[in-house]
Amino acid sequence: MKLRAVREGLLLVALACLPAIGEGIYFRDKISWRSSIPASELVTVGQARAWGDGAIWVDTRPDEEFVRDHVPGAFSVNEDHWNELLPQFLPNWSPEKKVVVYCSAESCNAARDVAKRLRDEAQLRDVFVLQGGWEEWLKSPK
Amino acid sequence: MAQVAQMKYAWRIVDLIVGGIFVYAGAIKALDPVQFANDIDNYKTLPWFVSVRLAVYLPWLEIFCGLALIFRFLYRGGLLILTALILVFIGATIAAKARGLDITCGCFGHASKNWNFSTHLVLDLLILLAAVVLFSRVRRTETS
Repeated sequence: MKLRAVREGLLLVALACLPAIGEGIYFRDKISWRSSIPASELVTVGQARAWGDGAIWVDTRPDEEFVRDHVPGAFSVNEDHWNELLPQFLPNWSPEKKVVVYCSAESCNAARDVAKRLRDEAQLRDVFVLQGGWEEWLKSPK
Repeated sequence: MAQVAQMKYAWRIVDLIVGGIFVYAGAIKALDPVQFANDIDNYKTLPWFVSVRLAVYLPWLEIFCGLALIFRFLYRGGLLILTALILVFIGATIAAKARGLDITCGCFGHASKNWNFSTHLVLDLLILLAAVVLFSRVRRTETS
């Protein structure tokens, strides 16, 4: 029975590849394959710097990391202290400003999550996630 | 004799229920792979490029295995994979809870977003129980 079950299972695994490949092709432009953040919501350090005063920066890293160092003028809005930090940030926002949210590095999800909450809960427009996060900011030439 | 026939019908109903659950669960996830990829990503155990590929593939595997149970074609293989999948879901759900993650399990796509941890776990355990019972029945019929 075991061998037969494994054989049949492998056949099903292979069969399921066919529609999955079809779906992958169908959704190829609708899915962000490399990052959980769609390309339209990402911004590079260079682009964000070019916005100058038109950008408002949001640091989503833990408090101690923010205190150690952060992008000049950035506001700390992390999910650990969301209810206290968001009201401190909101009065500094204005509709013509672009919001640039960052976390530690490419691999962290905090910036994506906070950006989503800023759009959904605070109803902010033009919220972008900094590609590569704080790590990329440090690497980029001033 | 009549009791044997009744039992046979009862087993078929269990097949149809378990198979139907997976076909339904697979279909709603296949319709929205982006959401399912986010649900997998919320477990924070796999990198995004793996999550997104799984989100495209897994629903079809569930559909095919569910159909295998419904039509009794490649039945043993379907049952084997569905049992393995449900064990993985249970493990991932418990691990996420232990790590304090607030997750949408994604088992039934975003339809299950308002279910709490206990509801997820009870449903998963019931499906696992049904799959194990079906497995033992296959073994019994083969040995008798």
